[in-house]
Amino acid sequence: MTAGPCAGVAAFLVTAGWCAASAAGADAAGASNALARDLLAQLIAINTTDTPRGNVTTAAEAMAQRLRAAGFAAEDIRVLGPSERKKNLVVRLRGTGASKPLLLIGHLDVVEARREDWSTDPFQMVEIDGDFYGRGTLDMKGPDAIMLASLIRLRQEGFRPARDVILALTADEEGGGANGVQWLLQHHRELIDAQFALSGDDYSVLTENGRPRFFKLVASEKVYADFQLRVTNKGGHSSVPVPDNAIYILTRGLDRLAAYEFPFELNAVTREYYRRLADIESGQRSADMRAILRDPPGGAALERLAQDPVERSITHTTCVATRLDAGHANNALPQRAQALVNCRILPGHSPEEVRQRLVQVLADPAIVVSYLASDGTLLDQAPAERGFAPPPLLPEMLNPLDRLVAETWPGLKVIPSMSAGSSDATHTSAAGLPTYTFSPLSVDPNDDREHGRDERISVASFYQANEFFYRYLRTVTAR
Amino acid sequence: MTSRARRLRLAALLTALTGAALAASAAAADRAIMSGQAADALARELYRELIEINTTDSAGSVTAASEAMARHFRAAGFPDADVSVLGPEERKKNLVVRLRGTGKHRPVLLIGHLDVVEARREDWSTDPFRLIEKDGYFYGRGTLDMKSGDAIMAAALLRLHQDGYRGSRDLILALTADEEGGCCDGVEWLVRNHRELIDAEFALNHDGIVGYSISSEHGVPQEFAFSATEKTYGDYQLTVTNRGGHSSLPRSDNAIYQLAEGLLRIGQYSFPIELNDVTRAYFERMAGVRGGQLAADMRAITRSPVDAAAVARLAHEPDLNSLMRTTCVATRLEGGHANNALPQRAQAVVNCRILPGHSKEEVRQELMRVMGDPAITVRYLADDGSVSDTAPEPRAQSPSPLLPQVLKPLESTVAASWPGLPVVPFMNASASDGFYTRAAGIPTYGVAGIAVDRDDIHAHGRDERVRVDAFYRGNEFFYQYLKTLTAR
Repeated sequence: MTAGPCAGVAAFLVTAGWCAASAAGADAAGASNALARDLLAQLIAINTTDTPRGNVTTAAEAMAQRLRAAGFAAEDIRVLGPSERKKNLVVRLRGTGASKPLLLIGHLDVVEARREDWSTDPFQMVEIDGDFYGRGTLDMKGPDAIMLASLIRLRQEGFRPARDVILALTADEEGGGANGVQWLLQHHRELIDAQFALSGDDYSVLTENGRPRFFKLVASEKVYADFQLRVTNKGGHSSVPVPDNAIYILTRGLDRLAAYEFPFELNAVTREYYRRLADIESGQRSADMRAILRDPPGGAALERLAQDPVERSITHTTCVATRLDAGHANNALPQRAQALVNCRILPGHSPEEVRQRLVQVLADPAIVVSYLASDGTLLDQAPAERGFAPPPLLPEMLNPLDRLVAETWPGLKVIPSMSAGSSDATHTSAAGLPTYTFSPLSVDPNDDREHGRDERISVASFYQANEFFYRYLRTVTAR
Repeated sequence: MTSRARRLRLAALLTALTGAALAASAAAADRAIMSGQAADALARELYRELIEINTTDSAGSVTAASEAMARHFRAAGFPDADVSVLGPEERKKNLVVRLRGTGKHRPVLLIGHLDVVEARREDWSTDPFRLIEKDGYFYGRGTLDMKSGDAIMAAALLRLHQDGYRGSRDLILALTADEEGGCCDGVEWLVRNHRELIDAEFALNHDGIVGYSISSEHGVPQEFAFSATEKTYGDYQLTVTNRGGHSSLPRSDNAIYQLAEGLLRIGQYSFPIELNDVTRAYFERMAGVRGGQLAADMRAITRSPVDAAAVARLAHEPDLNSLMRTTCVATRLEGGHANNALPQRAQAVVNCRILPGHSKEEVRQELMRVMGDPAITVRYLADDGSVSDTAPEPRAQSPSPLLPQVLKPLESTVAASWPGLPVVPFMNASASDGFYTRAAGIPTYGVAGIAVDRDDIHAHGRDERVRVDAFYRGNEFFYQYLKTLTAR
């Protein structure tokens, strides 16, 4: 298929496949979209939060059932894990073995969503005005459904890739412990070993007013760290308030934290990101991006860019209070006040370094800052290891991506980037599997509802991404 | 009674207690007057029993405590008709006991609540549901607020009964539920549904100033404060909502930070100073007791115009500050739903103690004005947990009249127990069940002969405690006061 007339309208059509030369192709694309939608609805209806109501195993089993029905051999489908409620699904599409396998990773778990905070039931997929709503539509049951649908489509077409394609849909990415990718790497490396890995855990087509601006390929990640701030106090009867109050001590600290900004810093990936992005952006923004690449960086430019939460997160370690808990009775002075502060740390820095900085910023020895490990244990000190260095951009991964992006969205550039969020790519990268993250979904970053209420994805974009990913898989495994 | 006889008597009592066979001694043919020592041992045993029954609103049972006390009264020979355990809620039944007098005057009602606020083992140095005696203190949840008072009142009635005492008035003891929270199953319910059981000319509430009336310094009593009015209790819920989002992309708008800023403003704000008849009398009398700058400042604030510097100095004392103004303080926080998500909601509970003459709605408006952020909604949180957009409008009730039939015996008993200790009227900063009895037209006074150091009040906090000697002196005082009160 050539780019040009077709690709130009593709973004506005239900599927890119509509433009495919043959009617059979269009039918296959339509069937695949219907399947992807069905898988997505099924996944959303299975609560996979890390709460007593959630169960990842149920989702893994449901998808295994789908794969078996689609003709995958039983021995190529594994549902496994150390926790009954948190089993992972690993499936293999066998290839010729000409090249080393490709691993696709996606997580099945979602963050908690409360019915009362949402406009619709977060655990029912609802289509309203061209969007799919539901917890996980974006992060990341949408990408999970697309990866599954693509694999099933390839299997049904009898496609023999040059490399095995392994898909691992896992638990515990959003929190809860190490029963997912970490566990697979540690105990079943043979099941998921690959030359490189692709994660679908970030949308790639960043739009503004409905127009795609660039295609983001994540090649580096910040390090995730949770810290607990804790103030204890002797408490007392609330009828006689005293100046020394655990809640006020904590809120004064939070006030200082809100005003603090970590230092500006670039690395190889983010430098490349701004270098390329400056060509796409125009006016002041473009000039500002060039300015921050200079040494020393332009101060005013930096300040303007940092107004944008995305640019701020790419150029700084960030820490933000995400939870509060204090007091034990309405009529008693609080004996304990706690906050959770979530940090995203630039590569090259350690959680312990950040913990010490928090202590400085809070500037009150009454506020004790501990590291909260992902298994929930509290430690006086945080890990001292620094975040992993970005992997090289492999041509066998990047070239097909460049071509397909140009074909689908003429003029759109792939821009290597660092993710502000931390994902399971941290673990695969640390295990020596170069990991790149992209999912060809179109999202306006100003309306990014990941982890928030009324999470959604555009229906048109979902179908377009489904077609894109299928085609990418065909291309990347052609040789 | 000789000291030997007293020892024997005590030994007999202790044996009886361990065997839960108080009846045997009560039924003894030669009914002996209970000694002070035996009365103390009895009070301590009741105290221990009460502390070790969890009566929190969450996991506890007030009914278990009521039943335990009822057993003592029945065993002591109180007629079944005069010992009732009743209430609308299985876990929260109240005890009402009547010690009959000659009926010359109308009865006196004694009230005390059996429920306690929550206590977490991990916050405490000792198990909060064990009575621990250590270094001259009793430790445990409710040692001060107010199982000490419950034990002392129950012991006084048992002792008077054992003495064969017949006062000029019936003495009615009501030990109740839901004072600390929960809703409406305690005094409020009794007043509404069994007024006949507790009707009285006036009531004494052993809650006093959260369980004591005597402020001491290093164990030396400074004054005896009986409360004749109290502030109104009001809880408010502050809420900030936000669209939330992924915590990897923090924005300038953040529900937790927004709430924190509002709370800081509340923390820095002081409501205006305002005195009423009771607090004015308190400061005037206290000025005569205290010396130096403090006395001068107390005098200064009763004059008009008010001396701002004096107010500022007095306000440094949390106790005095709470007498001069409405206070509001943040007591609880809750926010966020996941560690890695920007909070969609942050909430705080602000607890206010409102001066008589002001309404809860007035205070709600003032909180909103102080925070100055329309994104922080302030709603009224009722006792039953329901939340409403506005708070009740009625202004708090006026103080109880200072009745001579209450005050004179009080002054004489205090003078006999602590010669020279001034008796001062007081406004209770904490709300008590006296609110309901006053509202029902029963003048109510907070009287508790327990002394607590000003800087050692752990009610509702961790490691709540009472000095051992203060408990026993309070026990003896209350018995003497009841006798004086019903002597004629």
